[in-house]
Amino acid sequence: MSRPAVWPLVVVGGGPAGVAAATEAARAGLRCLLLDEAPALGGQIYRQPPREFTVRDPRKLGRDYLRGRRLLGELSEAADRVEVRSGTSVLDIVDGPELVCASSGGGTSSVPAERVILATGAYDRPVPFPGWTLPGVLTAGGAQALVKTMRVQPGDRALVAGTGPLLMVVANQLHHAGVHVMAVLEAGRSAFTAGTARRAWRQWGLLGDGGRYRLGLRMAGIPVLYNHAVFEAHGDGELRSVTYGPVGAADWQPVRAQRHRVDVDLLVTGYGFVPSTELCVLAGCRTEYVDHLGGWVPVRDDTMQTTVAGIFAAGDGAGVAGSVAAVEEGRIAGITAAEQAGAISAAEAQRRRRVPLRRLRSLAGVRAALDEISRPRPGLCQLATDTTIMCRCEEVTCGEVREAVAEGARDLQAVKLLTRLGMGACQGRNCTPSTAALLAAETGHPAQQAGRINPRPPVRPVTLGTLAAGQEEAR
Amino acid sequence: MSRHSTVVVVGGGVIGCAVAYYAARRGLDVTLVDMPKRGRATSASAGGLWPMGESVGLGCGVIFAKTQLAAGGGAVGHATGEPGRLPVSFLDFALQSRAMFGDLAEQLREDTGMDVELEHTSLLFLLYDSGDESYAQGLWNDYADQRSLLQWLTPAEVAEAEPAVTRRLYGALQFHGDDQINPYKLADALRAGARAHGATIIPHTEVTGIVRHGARVVGVQTADRTIECDVMVNAAGAWAAQIGQMAGVDIPVTPVRGQIVCTETLPETLNACLSTSDCYLAQKHHGEIIIGSTTEHAGFDSATTAAAAGSLAAGAVRAVPQLAQVRVKRVWSGLRPGSPDELPILGPVEDVPGYLNACGHFRTGILNAPLTGLALAELAAGEPASTPIEPFLLSRFQGSPSRTVLAHA
Repeated sequence: MSRPAVWPLVVVGGGPAGVAAATEAARAGLRCLLLDEAPALGGQIYRQPPREFTVRDPRKLGRDYLRGRRLLGELSEAADRVEVRSGTSVLDIVDGPELVCASSGGGTSSVPAERVILATGAYDRPVPFPGWTLPGVLTAGGAQALVKTMRVQPGDRALVAGTGPLLMVVANQLHHAGVHVMAVLEAGRSAFTAGTARRAWRQWGLLGDGGRYRLGLRMAGIPVLYNHAVFEAHGDGELRSVTYGPVGAADWQPVRAQRHRVDVDLLVTGYGFVPSTELCVLAGCRTEYVDHLGGWVPVRDDTMQTTVAGIFAAGDGAGVAGSVAAVEEGRIAGITAAEQAGAISAAEAQRRRRVPLRRLRSLAGVRAALDEISRPRPGLCQLATDTTIMCRCEEVTCGEVREAVAEGARDLQAVKLLTRLGMGACQGRNCTPSTAALLAAETGHPAQQAGRINPRPPVRPVTLGTLAAGQEEAR
Repeated sequence: MSRHSTVVVVGGGVIGCAVAYYAARRGLDVTLVDMPKRGRATSASAGGLWPMGESVGLGCGVIFAKTQLAAGGGAVGHATGEPGRLPVSFLDFALQSRAMFGDLAEQLREDTGMDVELEHTSLLFLLYDSGDESYAQGLWNDYADQRSLLQWLTPAEVAEAEPAVTRRLYGALQFHGDDQINPYKLADALRAGARAHGATIIPHTEVTGIVRHGARVVGVQTADRTIECDVMVNAAGAWAAQIGQMAGVDIPVTPVRGQIVCTETLPETLNACLSTSDCYLAQKHHGEIIIGSTTEHAGFDSATTAAAAGSLAAGAVRAVPQLAQVRVKRVWSGLRPGSPDELPILGPVEDVPGYLNACGHFRTGILNAPLTGLALAELAAGEPASTPIEPFLLSRFQGSPSRTVLAHA
């Protein structure tokens, strides 16, 4: 397959949204390039075990694994029109648009595109509490990566804490990996109420998944404590025990008087996800703050196009809504990109978008119900003490952030200037959501007024040697 | 809402903070109004204190000269690929300002408890080829007065002093006294020190207007207040022309973009700061290596480009080969407050009483902050400046002989 000088479509990200987008665009006859950072397609959720592993019983790997296999199967049917570049990260997006890429083989390259679908996914929302940086404390995503990809057992005795449906999934996965899961602490209330069921009646499949995971925990004898959270992790160099207790039902304020302590060597926390919007911002797309979508998200129309013509955003990277919704968003973006390129007529595009649009609308009900249950509440900000680290890269404490607020800082940019928060390798991806929440709690202003720390290239890790090699090529 | 302050400083970068600090230390009633802007040079700076290096065109100058040569000549004086040198008046000012840092760092520690991370590194100009060597030889010959600050290093001596540096060298010219500091901490400490000495800091507040009585500046306006003053100091960095305009003064300051690549935190890799014809490198107290910098006229656009990052990265790997394996943390850019002759614009403006300039510091705002702060504090107090500021008056651009007017005499 010869390569076009300018790709009619480049899709960034090989998770559910990106794979679905490339599949639909290719089905419509459009040539496209799919860039993915991982060695194999699937993203975080459909993460495939390495090739050296033989899957004997796919059902054991869960329904998500099967969904992933089905989606990747669809892509392979259109493979003659899709070039997949795995191990390729996108560092920057400049006017043109042109994507600056680095490949794991070394060297950078510039990929000009007529249109781009950004399907960059989301990352774990960290919630700081005393001891959260101890070895042995993992995020839900991190723990899943160990169990799903490497089949590693990350600990012996574990507590799983946070909010949202993923907790149940992770607890089941840990249990099957041989970890003794002491309990699941859900800061919110149970999702299994009449109200949720009524709003979600068309999505029995999803609720069924949740029910199965809940049932799995019951069979394994793992208790689920609602309106409970981790207060503190203890250990000297590594995790030894955890203090936890109930939180207020309305705002999740810790009720410290009723705390308990349990000995564990693994604590998995999951407080939902934050969309990766760095490339959207660098591309000049307007963003807005939408609490239930995970914070800052690109503004889009119903065809998933951002405020920059020819740049689309789909999946959790454009607003956290889960993999099932991501697939539908990706399909819509892929169909619309093909329509823009003239590969299919407007009428045909509209016809093809109908089913995914209907599915998205029907998902919206259950999403709204779940979002409301697991939206992080301001009481979580009270977990961190003055000595708790907020920014791990630069080791900025909660106390230093509070001092900066006392000195007049009202937004993240000002806190950064005063404390170095967000100046580390992660560019503030990990500290800004919780710091914005802290600023909101301290100032009484809504979290969006904290603004954001503008992303700077390279938005993914790259070495000087790789950048320099790109320079040699350009000469 | 209205209040009065003897001195109002507009701009909270390192220059504004230094003016506020020295003025407050003299006992003047000072208010500083600050609106942090994207691209402010203090936050983008590498923190080099290189009076010799900057005066003779090392640091960014030599990189710019080389790109000009590659682009086919360009600016007058750069056609040879050799960087321009700044006048002796600048070197004297910069050396004097550099000499203030030791005491200032101690004083700031006493005033605020903050450490500005002043490090005695020296600056090494790495000689890659015979062109670099003859340029260095010219410096050696021409700066006989500063010979005590200069030292030739053979390739073997460079290898011993800087094991990480490439061996493919003709040698190096070392500039003693060209050291470094943490620029953000310097600005922070000056701000905190000013406050400790009684200055009022109004953060995150845009100046919306300058109040004049006839030609005289009598106050500074923000969205919610007017601060009456005897003297207003324009320390607005790359935005100085806009503030000048509000006061009826034309200031020829324009933003000059510089892009910088910053590595992840590393163990001790470099002892000295390095200057080459491709880039400069400075390992900071924190362990990051800062690699700068381009010289671009891109208006107020503080974006970064892949081409600049690639070329700085290539320059860094050439100078220190082991950096090829090191991760890039961030690429950013800053807007230097550039003046037409690359010299700062300081002091009073003829026929505009109540107004003082502290702007146009181009590449050397960090280095020249202490002496600028001291001189402006003296002028604001109605006293003569203890260093000659005539070469830096705005009137040098107006073609008329300069006349030192005490601002509010």
